[in-house]
Amino acid sequence: MALDIAIEQAGGDTAVIALTGELDASNFTTLIEAGRTLHADGTRRIVLDLAGLSFLASSGLVALHSLIRILRGEAPPDPEEGWGAIHSLEFDVSGGGTQNEVVLVAPQAAVDRVLERTGLKRLFRVHADRSAALADV
Amino acid sequence: MIETGSAAAPGVRTIEIEARLDRLAEVRAFVRSSCAELGADDDCVVDLVQAVDEAATNIVTHGYAGRVGPIQVALAPSADGIRVVIRDRARAFDPTTIGEPDLQSARLRPGGMGVHLIRAATDSMTHDDRPGGGNVLTLMRTLGRREEED
Repeated sequence: MALDIAIEQAGGDTAVIALTGELDASNFTTLIEAGRTLHADGTRRIVLDLAGLSFLASSGLVALHSLIRILRGEAPPDPEEGWGAIHSLEFDVSGGGTQNEVVLVAPQAAVDRVLERTGLKRLFRVHADRSAALADV
Repeated sequence: MIETGSAAAPGVRTIEIEARLDRLAEVRAFVRSSCAELGADDDCVVDLVQAVDEAATNIVTHGYAGRVGPIQVALAPSADGIRVVIRDRARAFDPTTIGEPDLQSARLRPGGMGVHLIRAATDSMTHDDRPGGGNVLTLMRTLGRREEED
């Protein structure tokens, strides 16, 4: 199943990205590119609607992390530099709290399991629906 | 190419693809349908789809590293679950030697979680060199929800 990325402006500096399909090593860079484009157009907060995402590979975690970096004006990993560069990425969570740039909506059980198992879930506030997420950004 | 059980290997379901990232979705669909045929529940299906995807991704990106070659995935019923055997002709790459990430660290590393996810989704992972060159990765998964997550 391919990945569909639907983008809606939500007012101010916030955009909604709705993912449908499967996010894997073949397509994770398209999500990073979408983030770059939104940041260039002024977006600083993203509500990432995962309700339609049925599969999240470890490479998709790199895309989620990259969105945060992009919205902070930092350089995301360059896949052209190879997987060694991606593997060396780090995210400082010493502050203990979640970040504010990307909020998640309604991850399916399979996707939530990946976020839990990798510890990445502690980076994100997760909401049951889009309206609750928009009220939180 | 998908094959199902023969007299020599009853119940075995096999797919062989060219090692390309754009073939991963095909492999995941094969694992889903094969697991269902073998009586796996949703938890088991989700885990094996994840584990096989991560293993195949590693073969494409680290094993073949841009070169062309085959990946064969075979699922078969075992005594208490499903055995998955993944064969390639890539350079030697043993994921069982990759250390576990420190998930409690103050510095999360979002990249390189693939092998960790394979371990988390399966009961065992073993690697053997393949006669004639390449790798044989064997994953075992019991049916049902795994005890450590109850």
